[in-house]
Amino acid sequence: MSESSVPVLLADGESLSAAMLRRLFIGQCLVLGMHLAFMPLWLLAVAVLVAWRRHRQLIERAPQAGVVLRLVSIVALLGALWAQYGGFGDLEALLGMLVGIYLLKLLETRTRRDARVVIGIGFVVLTASFLHDQSIVMALGALVAATWLVHSLVMLSGGAQARPLRVAWRETAWLLGLSAPLMVALFIGMPRLGPLWSLPTLERASTGLSDSMAPGEIARLSRSDARAFRVSFEGPVPAPAERYWRVYTLTHFDGKRWSRETPEALAATLERPLSDFAKTARRNPFTADTARSAATDQPGGVTGSGSTSGGSSRYRAEFLLEPDSRPWRPSLGTPLASPERQRFFGDGTFEGVTALSSRGLVTLESSGEAPAFADPAGRAWHTLLPRGRNPRTLALAKRLWRDAEGDPEAYLAAVMARFGEAPYRYTLEPPRLSGEHRVDAFLLDSQAGYCSHYASATAVLARAVGIPARVVAGFQGGERHPDGHLTVRDYDAHAWVEVWHDGAWHRLDPTSVIAPERIEQGTAALSAGSQAFLADAGLSPLRFRDVAWVNRARLAWEQLEYRWQRQVVGYERRDREALLARLLQALEAPWQAFKTLKERVSSLVSSGGVGALRLGAEVLGVLTLAAVLGFGAQAGVRRWRRPSTLRGLLLDDAAWLAGHGYPARPGESPAAHLRRLAAAKPGADSSGGESSGGESSDSEPGLAGGRGADGQQRQRDLESACQALAEAIEQLYYAPLDDSQRRRWREVFHTRRRHWRRVFLRVSRCRGGSAGRLARWRQTWHLGR
Amino acid sequence: MIKRSALFAGPLTRGWARLRAWSWSRRSTPADAPLSQHRLFVIPTGFGLAWAGLILILFLFGTNYQNNLAYGLSFWLLAIALVALLRGWRNLLGVRVTITPEGEAFAGGEARLRVRLAASRDRQALAVCLGRRLGRRAGRRAGRHLEGHREVVDLVDGDASLTLGWPVSARGDQPLPRLRLESDWPLGLVRSMAWVESPATLLVYPRPGPSTDAAMLEARSMDESTPQAGPKTPREAQDFAGLKRYVPGDAPSRLAWKQWSRTGVLATKHFSEPPTAPTWLDYAAVTGDVETRLSWLCYQVNAYHRRGEPFGLRLPGLVLPPASGSVQRRRALSALARFSLDSASEDAAHGGSDDGFLGKSSSAAPEAGATGSDARAEGA
Repeated sequence: MSESSVPVLLADGESLSAAMLRRLFIGQCLVLGMHLAFMPLWLLAVAVLVAWRRHRQLIERAPQAGVVLRLVSIVALLGALWAQYGGFGDLEALLGMLVGIYLLKLLETRTRRDARVVIGIGFVVLTASFLHDQSIVMALGALVAATWLVHSLVMLSGGAQARPLRVAWRETAWLLGLSAPLMVALFIGMPRLGPLWSLPTLERASTGLSDSMAPGEIARLSRSDARAFRVSFEGPVPAPAERYWRVYTLTHFDGKRWSRETPEALAATLERPLSDFAKTARRNPFTADTARSAATDQPGGVTGSGSTSGGSSRYRAEFLLEPDSRPWRPSLGTPLASPERQRFFGDGTFEGVTALSSRGLVTLESSGEAPAFADPAGRAWHTLLPRGRNPRTLALAKRLWRDAEGDPEAYLAAVMARFGEAPYRYTLEPPRLSGEHRVDAFLLDSQAGYCSHYASATAVLARAVGIPARVVAGFQGGERHPDGHLTVRDYDAHAWVEVWHDGAWHRLDPTSVIAPERIEQGTAALSAGSQAFLADAGLSPLRFRDVAWVNRARLAWEQLEYRWQRQVVGYERRDREALLARLLQALEAPWQAFKTLKERVSSLVSSGGVGALRLGAEVLGVLTLAAVLGFGAQAGVRRWRRPSTLRGLLLDDAAWLAGHGYPARPGESPAAHLRRLAAAKPGADSSGGESSGGESSDSEPGLAGGRGADGQQRQRDLESACQALAEAIEQLYYAPLDDSQRRRWREVFHTRRRHWRRVFLRVSRCRGGSAGRLARWRQTWHLGR
Repeated sequence: MIKRSALFAGPLTRGWARLRAWSWSRRSTPADAPLSQHRLFVIPTGFGLAWAGLILILFLFGTNYQNNLAYGLSFWLLAIALVALLRGWRNLLGVRVTITPEGEAFAGGEARLRVRLAASRDRQALAVCLGRRLGRRAGRRAGRHLEGHREVVDLVDGDASLTLGWPVSARGDQPLPRLRLESDWPLGLVRSMAWVESPATLLVYPRPGPSTDAAMLEARSMDESTPQAGPKTPREAQDFAGLKRYVPGDAPSRLAWKQWSRTGVLATKHFSEPPTAPTWLDYAAVTGDVETRLSWLCYQVNAYHRRGEPFGLRLPGLVLPPASGSVQRRRALSALARFSLDSASEDAAHGGSDDGFLGKSSSAAPEAGATGSDARAEGA
C-alpha cells in the first residue's frame, strides 16, 4: 500500500508513472509464468532485460529505446527462437515469438494507450497458454493473471483519486463478480462450431505404448506414473480382471522383437488395397463385413445394432485421452461404434483420424472381448515365424502338440499349465537376455520375466504349431475412483496374446497364470518393493499410497481434475444440447403447473356464480398472503436498516419529513425544524406544506375551517407532539445529564418519536392525495416534472 | 442556379439550425438537475472497438483449437465489457452539475468556471470538458487555439468541485458554455457522456488593450505621466480623517495599534484624499472603431481604478459621474461590456442621454464578477 498515492500518469499527463509500469511488468510476469513451464527459460531473461532497460529509461533518464535498439532486440529474439526450434514452422516457435514480442513491447510503452495495447496483447498471450495445457492449475493461474490485467485497466482509467488502488480493486471485484455468471451462461449456452480452418498444433512427445515390443519395453513404462487415459462407463463397469485395454496388435516377429505392421505396410507387403485393412467410419465396418459373410440367414441383423457377430456392445465408455503425437485409441475389447468418425483396423483396433494435441474425449461402444472376425491379413500372416530361430522352443512346441494330440485347445491349456507349473517367476528386473535365440533363453534358461516375455513366448509357441496368434499391446487394469471413473497410467501397460480358433480370436494371458495378482490388483500390488517401479516418477504421490490421507487427497484431487477435464474442458456441443434439453425439462414442471391452474380457473369460471365466488375467494387469499409476506419483508428490511444512533435517527426523520414535503432549511437543527413545523402547521394545514409556496396559503384557512373541530384537534395534537419531541432532542443533545437520566430521556425520546410519527401520519393522511408520493417517484427516476 | 441555391439556402440553413437546436435540447441536461437516463449517452471508445476485436480473436482461437478455456476467456471478456458498460453508465447517472462563473472575465482572455459536482455515492474519474473534441485528446491544446479544456475529478463523499478555463472572445452577456461530462470509467471501453447546459450568463468585459493608435498613444503618454507623480499621494500629504472600526481586509499599515493597546478595540486610520480633478473617460475622445475604443476605455478604467483615482465615463447614451472604488469600476466595465451603438443611438433618439445617472443596462448588479470585496464596498 506504499504506492497507494502514486498516480497512474506522470505530471505531464501523458507518460506512465513508474508504479504503473511496475504493474504492467508484474502482469507480464504473470502471463509469462503461464507459459514458462512449457517454454524455454531464457524468455524470463528477456523480460528482466526489457524491464531493466525500461527502468533505466524512467529513473536514470536514459534515452528512449530507438528504432535501432528495437530492431536489434527483435532480431535477437528471432535468432534465439531459430536456434531453439530450428525454424518457425511449428507452433512452439510461433508461441515463442508471440510471448517475446509481448515482452519487448514494454520497451516502447510510454502512454496510456500503449499500456492498454500491452494489456490487450497480454490477454492474447494468456489465451495462447491454454494450448499447452487446460488443467485446473492453468485455469487458476489464468484467473489470477486476468484479474491482474483487468485491475491494471481499471487503474489506467482512474482519476486522481486519493486511494486509487483500493478503489480499483473494488471496481475490479465488481466487474469480475458481475460478469462471472454472465460468462458461465455464455459458456453453457453459446453454440459451438467446428474448427473453421486448420492451424499448426503443438508437437507432442509420444508417451506410453510404442508400436513395437522388444523385451524391456514395458519395463520402461512401469517406471512412469504418467496418466495414459481416464475412462468412465455408462452402465456396468468391468471387473478388474476384465479390464484389458487393447491398443495395438503386434503381428510381425523377427526373432527378437514383435512389431506392429501398419495397415499401409500390410497393404504394401501383401499387395492388397488399403481399404482391406483400414476403414474410416462411425461403426466398425469389419464386424459388419464378417456378419454379412457369415450370417446370411440373419437378415436385418447386420445393420440393426451394428454389433452382431463382434459380440453385443457391452460397454459404453467415455475416454479422456492425454495428448499424444500418435492417434492411438484404447478400447475395451473390440471397438464397435463411436459418435465421431474413427479409423477402424482389420485387427480389431482403431485409431483417431488425427492425433490429439490436447486432451480429448472419445466415446466408444465396445464388446469387451477379442474380435470375432478374421484378420484380413490372413492365417498365413499370423503363423509366420523366422526361420532357424529358437529351435528349442520349436521342439518344445512339437512335444506339447503331440501330447495334446493335435487339439489346439488342449495344446494351449498345456502351454498355460506349463507356465503355472515350472519355476517361472514374474519380475520387472529380469536377467538380461542376449543372443539369437531369445525366446529359448527365456523359456528354458532364465525363466524370469514379465508380461511381454511371456506373451512373446506364448505367441511363438502357438505359431510354432500353426495356430494363428498375435501379441496385443495395451493396458490392463486401472485405478478405480470413488465416483466410478478409472485412471489408467503408463505403468498399467501390458502385453498378452490372442489366438484364433473356432472362428474367433481368444484372449490368452500368460501373466494371469504366473502372477494372478498383477491382473487382479494391478502392477503396484506386485512390484511395490521393486526398484524399477516408478523409478522415474520422482516424488510422486503414488509412492505414498500407503499413507491414507495422502492417498485420499490424491484421489480427491484426481477426481476434481477429472471432472474439470470432463465437464469444463471437454464441454461440447452434445453436452450443451443435453443440458439445454434438461433445462427445458425442468421448465416443463412450472409450465404444467401453470396450465393446470389455468384449467382450474376456467372450469371455476364456467361453473357459474358459486365457482366465480370461490375463485374470487382464492385470488383474494393468495393476494392477502402475498401482501402479508411483502409487508413483512419490507418491515424486516426496515428494521434491519434502521439506524441505531441518535444522529442516524434524526437524519432518518429529516429525510422522512423531506419525503413528505417538509424539508429542513439549510442549517436548521432538527429541534428547530420540528418547532417550525409545529408553528407552521395550522396555516398550512392540508396544503402541500411549506414547499408548495405561498399562493395556496390564502385558500388554506377556509379549508381547514371546513374540516371542523376534528381537524383542529389533530392539529393541536401534532403541535404538542412536535414540541415534545423537540424538547426530548434538545435534552439529549444539550442538557448535562448523568447516565440514568440520559437513559430515561432516551426512552422518552423513542416514545415521543413514535407518537409524533403516528400523529404526523394521521394529519398528512388527512391532507390526502398521492401527490407527494408521485413527486418523489418522479424525482427518483429523474422524470422532470 | 446560384439564385435558387441562395433561395434554398435560407430555409435549409434555418431548418438545419432548428434541427440542431432541437437535437441539443434533447441531448442536454439543465444544470443543477441530476443527470437522467434519458440524457446519458454511452459510446464505445477506440479501445472498446479493439476489445471487441480481441474477443473475436479469442473466440476464433477457441473455435479453431477447440479449446474450451479460450472460449471461456473470450466469453469472460465479453461479459466484462457488458458489465463495464453498465457500471460506466451508472457512474454518471444522477450526478448533479452546478456551473458558476468565478471572478471576472475580459474578452480575449479566459473566464473561469467553477463546476460543482454532487451525487449520492462516490463517482470515479469524471471529466468535465469544454469543446467538441472527445476523450483524452480534449485536454490537449491544438496549436495556439485554446481548443478544449478538460479537468478530471473523483467524487468522494458525494461532492467535488473544479475550475475550468473558458476562453471568451466576445464582450457582453455570454451564455455559459455547454459542458460535457464524460467518463470512461471503469475500463476505458465505453465512454458515457452527458451535456450540461446552464441558463446563466456571464458578463464579459471588453478586451483591455492599449491601442497602437496615435491619438491613444498620446493619451496614454499623458496618463502615464501621472503615475510618475505617484499613484497615491504620499501619506504625509493626506489628511487624517478619523478612526473607523476595523473591517477584515483593511491594510495592516493603517491599523491604529496605539488605540488597540489602549482600548482593546481594533480600529483603522482613515485619511481623506486630497481632491483631485476627476478625469472623464470619453468615448468621443477616442478614435478608432467601436471595439478599439471600448478596449482602450476598459484599459483606462482598470488603470484608474488601480491608482485609486476617481473617474467618470461618458458613452453615447450613458454618463457615469466621476467616482472611485470597485463599484464605480464595475459599473463602468459593465457599461462598456454591454455597450452597443444601436441601443445607444436609440437611447439618444428617445432623449435618453440625460441626467448622467446610471444607464439602465448596468442598473442590475452583474451576476458575475461580484467578488467579496465588491460586495463589501457595495454594502459600505
